[in-house]
Amino acid sequence: MIEIAHLTKRYGSTTVLDDVSFTAAPGRVTGFLGPNGAGKSTTMRVLCGLATASSGTATVAGRRLRDVPNPGRTVGVLLDASAQHAGRSGREVLTLSARLMGLAPGRVAACLDLVGLTAAEADARTRTYSLGMRQRLGLAHALLGEPDALVLDEPANGLDPAGIRWMRDLLRAYADGGGTVLLSSHLLREVEAVADDLVLIGRGRVLAHGTTADLLSAPGTEVRSLDDGALAGALIAAGHDVRPLDDGGLSTSASAEAVGRHALDARVVLLDLRPARSAGLEDLFFTLTAGSAREEVAA
Amino acid sequence: MSAATLTPPGTAAPARAGVPWTRLVGVELRKQVDTRAGRWLLALVVLVDVALVALYLWAADEAPGWSALTEASSAGQLLLLPLIGVLAATSEWSQRTALTTFALEPRRTRVHGAKAAAGIVLALGITVATLAVAAVATLVGGALHDGAGSWSLDGALLGGLALALVLLVLQGLGFGLALLSTPAAIVAYLALPTVWSLVSALVPALRDPADWLDMSGPLTGLMSGSLTGDGWAQLGTSTLLWVGVPLAVGLWRTARRDVA
Repeated sequence: MIEIAHLTKRYGSTTVLDDVSFTAAPGRVTGFLGPNGAGKSTTMRVLCGLATASSGTATVAGRRLRDVPNPGRTVGVLLDASAQHAGRSGREVLTLSARLMGLAPGRVAACLDLVGLTAAEADARTRTYSLGMRQRLGLAHALLGEPDALVLDEPANGLDPAGIRWMRDLLRAYADGGGTVLLSSHLLREVEAVADDLVLIGRGRVLAHGTTADLLSAPGTEVRSLDDGALAGALIAAGHDVRPLDDGGLSTSASAEAVGRHALDARVVLLDLRPARSAGLEDLFFTLTAGSAREEVAA
Repeated sequence: MSAATLTPPGTAAPARAGVPWTRLVGVELRKQVDTRAGRWLLALVVLVDVALVALYLWAADEAPGWSALTEASSAGQLLLLPLIGVLAATSEWSQRTALTTFALEPRRTRVHGAKAAAGIVLALGITVATLAVAAVATLVGGALHDGAGSWSLDGALLGGLALALVLLVLQGLGFGLALLSTPAAIVAYLALPTVWSLVSALVPALRDPADWLDMSGPLTGLMSGSLTGDGWAQLGTSTLLWVGVPLAVGLWRTARRDVA
C-alpha cells in the first residue's frame, strides 16, 4: 500500500505539489497521469526519499522509505531508465544492487531473463543500449529485490508495441500476485489498458482519483430503433437529454430500462440498446488538464 | 519469461535487517574499480609511481635504499590520490546513479562514509604496490651500482605515507561532495592551495598564518617521515581547512539535497 497524504512541496515561491493525496492499493495497478511538469516525478521522488517535501507524508506500508531498512526489498524503483553509469554493463548494474541488498547470487540472471535481455546484451556497457533496453534493465532493477511495491516513472517510454504489451502483462501478473504498482505514463492508451485505478494530476494538484471503470464510464445509453424520431420525441418529453449519433441511432441520458419502457409505450422496435461508449482516457485527460488548476473534479 | 522469477510479494521475511556497513563498503569499492575510468586512474597512479621511482634510480649515484625509493614516488600520489575520492563522490551525480544508490540506502552520509572507507582501502592497496615497486627498484639499483641499497624501512615513513594517503582521499571526497562536479573539484583541490600560497607570499601579513594553513608543506614532511612537533600542529590546522571544511560542506550539502 502506497499512501500519499497532503504532500506539498515548494521551491521558493513556486508550489510544485499542492496538498496531493491518494493511495495505491495492493493487488492493483494505479496509473499516475498528468502533463509535463504536473508533479508526477516529484511525487515519486519524495516517495522514494530522494526529495524532501515541505509538508505531508509519503509512505509505503505505513512507513517513510527513509525509515525502512534495506528499502530495495520493499519498493522497486524505476525513476529514469537513462540514469545508469554509461561505463557499466547491465549485468554489473544489477550485480552492484543485488550485493547491496544481500540477494541470492542467481537473482541477477533470473531478472535479466525475466525482462528478456540476452547474455550478450547484459554484458554490453549501458552506453550502447537503446532506450527500450534501458527500460528493460530498469525494470529488472526494480524487480530485483522482490519488492512489495513498484514505483515506475514512464516505464513504457521507448518500448516497441510488443515491448509495451510484454510490460503490461508483467505488471498485471505482479499486481495479481498481490503487489502494488504505481506507474506514470504519457501513453494514455497503455495506462487505460493496464490500470485498475487512476490518479490525474495537474499543476501539482490531484484533479481526479478513482477506479478506471468509474472515471471512464459515461452515464446514459446508446440506442438504435426502427423509428429514432418517435423514440427521441418520447425521451425528450420525459425530460431526458437526447442527441443523434454520427453513425445513426441516439445517445441519451436515460437508463437502459427507461429507454426500453419509453420504446414499449411508443411502440417503437429497438434494434440495439447498450451503455454509452466511454469517453476514453484521452478525453478525460484533456478535459481535466486543459484548463486551469482550479478546475478540480471530485472523483 | 519465466513466471517463477516474478515472486509474489510479501514472501520475504517480515523483519528485515538493514544493509550492513561492511556490505556497503564492499559495493562502493567495487563501484570504484568496475569502470574503465576507475581502473585507468588506479593504473595511472601506479604508472606514475613506477616512472618516478625509475627516474630516481636513474639519477642516483649509488644504490638507493628501499626507503628513499618509496619516498620518491610520493609526489605523484600527492597529485593523483585525491582524484579517487573526487570520482567516488561526483560520478554518482554526473552519471545520475545517485537516483539508484540513495533509493537503496537513503542514509546518504552512511553511503559517503562507505565511499571514504573504500577509497582508503584502495589507497592502502596503492601503498603496497608502491612498496613493491620500490623493492624491485632496490634490487635493480643494487645490480646497477654494485652493492645493495639499504633494506631498512622507517616506521615513521610508512605510517606517514599511510596517513597522508587517507588524508588525500578524504580531501578529494570532500571537494567532490562540496562541488559535485569532477572538473570543478579537480581544479579546486589543485588550485586553491596554490592560490593560497601565492597570496600569502604576496601579502607579508599573511605569511605567518599561511604556514598554519598550507597543507602541502606538512604533507610532504609526513610522506617522508620527517614531521616535527610544529609540523604536526601545522598538519592539523591545514587539514582542518583543506580536508575538514570541504568534507563538512559536502556532507551537509548532499545529506538532504533533492536528487534529480
